[in-house]
Amino acid sequence: MKSRVLAAVGTVAVAAMALTACSSGGAAGGGEASCTNKITKTDVPQVTVWAWFPAFEQVVDLFNKTHDDVQVCWTNAGQGNDEYTKFSTAIEAKSGAPDVIMLESEVISSFTIRQALVDIGEFGAADVKDKYTEGAWNDVTSGDSVYAIPVDSGPMGMLYRQDLFDAAGIAVPTTWDEFAVAAQQLKDAGTGGVLANFPTNGRAFNQALFAQAGSVPFEYDKTKPTEVSIDVNDDASKKVLNYWDGLVKADLVTTDDAFTADYNTSLVDGTYAVYLAAAWGPGYLQGLSDADDTAVWRAAPLPQWDAANPVQVHWGGSTFAVTEQAKDKQLAATVAKDIFGTDEAWKIGIEQGALFPTYKPILESDYFTNLEYPFFGGQQINKDVFLDAAAGYSGFTFSPFQNYAFDQLTEQQYAMVQGEKTADEALDDLQESLTKYAAEQGFTSK
Amino acid sequence: MALTTEPPTRAARAASAARTVRPRRGGIGAIDRKRQRWGWLFVAPFAVVFAAFLIFPLCYAFWMSLQTSTLAAGTEFTGLANYVKAFTDPIFLGGLGRVAMFALVMIPAQMLVALVAALVLDNLATVLSKFSRLMIFVPYAIPVVIGALMWGFLYSPRFGPATDLFALFGATAPSFLDQSSIFGSLVNIVTWQWSGYYMIIIYAALRGIDPSIYEAARIDGANSFQTALRIKVPMISSSMVMVLIFAMIGTLQFFTEPQVLRGIAQGAIPISYTPNMYAYSLAFSYSQFNYASAISFALGIIVFIGSYVFLFLTRKQSGLK
Amino acid sequence: MSATTAIPAVNPKAGRRRHGPEARTGGRRVGSHLFLLALVIYFILPLWWLIVAATKDTSGLFTGSGGPLWFDSEFNFFDNLAELSTHQGGIYWRWLANSFLYAFAGGIGATILAVLAGYGFAKYRFRGRSLFFNLLLGAVMVPLTALVIPTFVLLSQVGLVNTIWAVILPSLLSPFGVYLMRIYTQDAIPDEILDAARVDGAGELRTFFQVALPLLRPAIVTVLLLSIVGTWNNFFLPLAVLSDPNLLPVTVGLNNWTALSNAGAGGEQVWNLIVTGAFVSIVPLIIAFLSLQRYWQGGLSLGSVK
Repeated sequence: MKSRVLAAVGTVAVAAMALTACSSGGAAGGGEASCTNKITKTDVPQVTVWAWFPAFEQVVDLFNKTHDDVQVCWTNAGQGNDEYTKFSTAIEAKSGAPDVIMLESEVISSFTIRQALVDIGEFGAADVKDKYTEGAWNDVTSGDSVYAIPVDSGPMGMLYRQDLFDAAGIAVPTTWDEFAVAAQQLKDAGTGGVLANFPTNGRAFNQALFAQAGSVPFEYDKTKPTEVSIDVNDDASKKVLNYWDGLVKADLVTTDDAFTADYNTSLVDGTYAVYLAAAWGPGYLQGLSDADDTAVWRAAPLPQWDAANPVQVHWGGSTFAVTEQAKDKQLAATVAKDIFGTDEAWKIGIEQGALFPTYKPILESDYFTNLEYPFFGGQQINKDVFLDAAAGYSGFTFSPFQNYAFDQLTEQQYAMVQGEKTADEALDDLQESLTKYAAEQGFTSK
Repeated sequence: MALTTEPPTRAARAASAARTVRPRRGGIGAIDRKRQRWGWLFVAPFAVVFAAFLIFPLCYAFWMSLQTSTLAAGTEFTGLANYVKAFTDPIFLGGLGRVAMFALVMIPAQMLVALVAALVLDNLATVLSKFSRLMIFVPYAIPVVIGALMWGFLYSPRFGPATDLFALFGATAPSFLDQSSIFGSLVNIVTWQWSGYYMIIIYAALRGIDPSIYEAARIDGANSFQTALRIKVPMISSSMVMVLIFAMIGTLQFFTEPQVLRGIAQGAIPISYTPNMYAYSLAFSYSQFNYASAISFALGIIVFIGSYVFLFLTRKQSGLK
Repeated sequence: MSATTAIPAVNPKAGRRRHGPEARTGGRRVGSHLFLLALVIYFILPLWWLIVAATKDTSGLFTGSGGPLWFDSEFNFFDNLAELSTHQGGIYWRWLANSFLYAFAGGIGATILAVLAGYGFAKYRFRGRSLFFNLLLGAVMVPLTALVIPTFVLLSQVGLVNTIWAVILPSLLSPFGVYLMRIYTQDAIPDEILDAARVDGAGELRTFFQVALPLLRPAIVTVLLLSIVGTWNNFFLPLAVLSDPNLLPVTVGLNNWTALSNAGAGGEQVWNLIVTGAFVSIVPLIIAFLSLQRYWQGGLSLGSVK
């Protein structure tokens, strides 16, 4: 038996050494980039890119096929916070960051303050200003400094289940008052579903709902990096949060966490009759939709507080930034500009990835305006909803510690729906914790 | 005491029995002293790793914790300010309290399940008991992340079996991922994952007890429950100490399960749920490496002292000379 | 609670010296068996769920006809397996290979260091021994998680972050392994045997390899299994020090897929692959434990009867 043990240990040791050997022959050396995509032109410089766009591989392939002087080496390093954590780690380690990175506009300030992003204005990025919508451009710039190239954006609308609405005799709500009435009607119909979900971890989603009522949570200028002003407990935010708290207390909406498998299923199986969504929402939904073939989805504008003076808001929206660790910043800036700089790339992005462009040549084209979406029964959702929603957008300012701010917002909202706090208390506490945090981090109030 | 149920060899035992008292400290000769230096050679490779990945990180954490780096104002030397902050930080203290709560519930729960299962198994030698022993142990072979992912699915009110299972008895399933029940849900995952392994340790020790002791007990009229409580449990106390060490290490590391479950219960498991999670978020989400270092170091030192005291006090049970 | 775990191991002679089951009354045996059955159901239920779930596609997983604990009408296991091999260029298998590499390199390395150090501590009285061992006692329970952040900063300064070494090197640290080896060594190897070897003219190294090492075998296997499982389980360390997807172990990789699927837009929902991947990744370990059971069961218990 002893010899068997020895044999087992020996086998294991040999296997481990073999694995070590073949692995160190591979990508284990460190530093060497390993790309998700296949690069055929190996003798030209490469630019590493982190991004999580759907269907992005095809966009990368297109770029590499049409460029002979540079090739993109793409990695999906995780989505949103996961990627930011890795980027943050790489900044601290002073190595390991990609040349070009996909960032949502809400976190750009969080990285400019750490001097992690290159001002690519001088690398020709300022020249493309006119190709992008004003709001998207404002999100990535500060004066003459350009910290990223806009890619897609997230004007908000309301996706709803026409079949469920018809069954319960609900008219499509255009104001939040009507929305509350519709919620009651649906509950009275007794189907077991709810009109909508109010996720306490909605982060930018919650923020957008506040903003629609006029909340301006932060004032921050990337060129004056130590000054910030915080106003998250204003009357507008309180009005909105009290409104949702009322719906929650009346059991008219659920409070499931967003972005979980439970939530995703609830979206497609009729538990929620409405999905308050950004323009990328339909793409999200389509990926899930195999669950229920009989669902009839339609898009309508986001309900308003004042129907006479509609306010449009955005949720999400991504950009490409060049990192300070980029080996060739000029080349990286060129890649950031050009990846989504063609109609062909955008057609992939729109049709495969359901992105909503900030790139005006495609945004304003007849092709995009009249595009019919089979998922919505052929409805031209851009013309009907999202182009209007996008038109009114002039940009939005986030704090340089947005991740912390969102985490705190989640905690406060969760305490509220648990009945530990009123909406007003939740927002007052949020204001207090953010103010304290900003002071600790050495910011001065404007 | 012996570490194994079986002394390594008969020869060794004989040699051991024949051992004569030798001078240990005083009268070591020059040759002997030279020989003792070999000890360092044997220990050296480990010492290098120990210094590089334990002492140095702890010192480095301490050095970093003496400085404060803020987003807006840069880095400055602030002495012990980070520790003052940590030990007045309700989030850190709350996390410590939570880990203490977990220790109080989780460790006894695991040990109890393991002990009872081992005692029952020790009394049976049927096919079912052999099979059970394996099946109870199997969760140990599953990485913690995957275990937590699986339980995440099982806890889901929509996809999990709980709704159906509870309906069988006419009850409503609790919502496992709510603030009120998340504590129990986490305890359950840990108990499920580790009890089987502890059970094997205890079971092996029970098997090592000389059965003639039971005969004596039976003659004295003890029933099997009394035998278990009065004879078996005291005789395996050193195994229980070992299990306790494992369970304590596990509880102090508590990170993976709440971190994975946080993906589906962000409200109920805030980012600062345990001190480990708090330090991780501070460092990697909020880029406050200095404050995170202070928390890591404070935690490390508390555990270091606690670990030393505990192992020193239990040195008799563990056979340390 | 991830990193440090252990496994009882081999005592080759365990089988032969055990008393039979005590005589029992029938009723109590039924009770015991029912109790065991309940335990088994509890411990096996999640695994059963995983086996069933690995045969479903994503929508079957969430809305399938069979419910969470039974098979669907469709059997998708092989489809899932095929997709697992093609999704993101088959990176899953690379993750699995990485996990093996880290577990064996870290586990074997840690064991070698622990055996040497345990022997050194137990059998030599060198200067500084007490101090060092007391430090080690303190270190036994220090959670790896508390060390990860400074370790990360340290590794980043020597440029090892995001390489395999960032995972393997810290995994070599196993104070608990040394602790166990020392206790076992001082008990299993009487000084007289060593002295006898020395009298016969064997050097210190030869004495260690030819006399001591064979006697330590059961403890070596214990510590080896302990270290391998510990590294295999490791999550926090690779999570912090690796960002290249090609270097991830399967635990972190699957967790990334989960995050992508939770947050993910259409096309990124790969729940079927996560579940199938989780299933495939635990199969080797379960097979290893079941087929090697005679080695880990019944024999050595770490610390036992007085």
